[in-house]
Amino acid sequence: MAKRISVVVSQSPSKNPAKRKLEEDIVAGLLFENGIDVTIVPNLYDIKPESTGMLALRQIAGNVVVVSWLFERAAHWILDRNAITGHVGEVLLKNDDEEEDDADAEQADDEDDDKDRVIDSRSLKNRKIYCLDLKISNRAEDFIDEVKRIHQENAVQVVGLGDIINGGISQPIGERMSTAPSDPALSLEGSGLDQPSIVNRVEESGGRRWYPVIDYSRCTNCMECIDFCLFGVYGVDAVDTILVEQPDNCRKGCPACSRVCPENAIMFPQHKTPAIAGSSDGVASMKIDLSQLFGAPADGKSAEELAALERDEQLIAVGRDAVGMTAGVPRRQEDKSERSKDGLDDLVDQLNDLDI
Amino acid sequence: MIDSSGRDATKKFMMGEFEAEFPLGFQYAKNHMWVIASPDDSALIRFGFAAYAVRLLQDVYFLDWLLDAPSKILESQEIGSIESKKAESALYAPCEGELVRFNAELMEDPSAINVDKYGEGWLFEMQKSDTVFLNVDQYVDLLDSVWAKTQRTIKGQVNE
Repeated sequence: MAKRISVVVSQSPSKNPAKRKLEEDIVAGLLFENGIDVTIVPNLYDIKPESTGMLALRQIAGNVVVVSWLFERAAHWILDRNAITGHVGEVLLKNDDEEEDDADAEQADDEDDDKDRVIDSRSLKNRKIYCLDLKISNRAEDFIDEVKRIHQENAVQVVGLGDIINGGISQPIGERMSTAPSDPALSLEGSGLDQPSIVNRVEESGGRRWYPVIDYSRCTNCMECIDFCLFGVYGVDAVDTILVEQPDNCRKGCPACSRVCPENAIMFPQHKTPAIAGSSDGVASMKIDLSQLFGAPADGKSAEELAALERDEQLIAVGRDAVGMTAGVPRRQEDKSERSKDGLDDLVDQLNDLDI
Repeated sequence: MIDSSGRDATKKFMMGEFEAEFPLGFQYAKNHMWVIASPDDSALIRFGFAAYAVRLLQDVYFLDWLLDAPSKILESQEIGSIESKKAESALYAPCEGELVRFNAELMEDPSAINVDKYGEGWLFEMQKSDTVFLNVDQYVDLLDSVWAKTQRTIKGQVNE
């Protein structure tokens, strides 16, 4: 059973000394924590599947905490695409704004439960991957404390399981946790955890990359993206599940396929728009750009029209003909009006009526 | 018409206490980039940040381009972004034309923009076109006319 946990620190591609210092302060703060190993890699999004960095990450067996400058979802699904799979571990250190949105998103998810998501049919490694976003705080202690909390939570769970196997729980879990020693090193002694940290630093430079990342907890395998992209980025696996087959065919700067995805399942982690980069803000499976309500110039373009324009720019750039809205533009547009309106639709209609 | 000689002789512009220097032999775009004939290929023109832009940015930490070269671009098209000690900004094309290549060295380490802005810190090269750029006198006249506004912009943002 995996008792040690691994912390992966994904470095910013920026040379900003404040960012580098935060990364190094976190590493330093974890250095003397027993039972925590640390691996430092260049920006997770840029490292290639066959690189030393990704190989090192694939060798990590147990639970993992990933600390990166990427949104949590982006980090999780970048790893997943590189065969580093696991279940989403719940983190408590997150953006304050996101918590309410998460509650909303969960509600929306409940309403959407009839939809089959790709994740339901995939086999994931039996472990947890916890992703922490370095953009959330500039205090190293916040991240160190959260890593320690996760470490302790994992250790407690292991003990709990053992108790169940050995004939039941003798006291309520809440009580057990409140009586647990506050020093994690002390509480973990004797369980194989008193080994010092191993720090593995991978340095490599393979240049910047640009490609889509699919969130399979949202993706329904509808194939809109493979129909829309004319650069051969997408493909399907042996059981006809969509995947990013040729990431480096993707056209740098073009996020068009993420705009046509009806489930907001496609991320471009380096895009300047948080919703496209993988922010959890906003309600799942709803494509509304509220920035227009708040003063952005209204260009009157739908997500699909914008996507078609972006795709045309890329086609022209490589000497091909523009196709406009004639190729692979979502069929769902046709039957959209038939879908019954839900509460959010009503809310948006009301917003439209307001003279902002 | 444009050549890289005359790097040593400069025209100066005072940005407050700071003396920004602009090589006489260079030409300039209104978005504060310099332009010279590429030393590697006479069919190309080379762009970089002029001292005015570098002084406002200060230490450059990160440079990213929104497109792969070669690529046709339009004037004022958003082509990249930059993060520095003092600013985060989008970058825009100085003119219309074919962008042929970026300075790959800056992707790993953009510090040459600060260390050698008129040399190793060059940004990208484009096909020569008939775009007319400013000579150093015209460019410094432009700075005279925008400096007050630039100061107001910076102060406005700092006070926010």
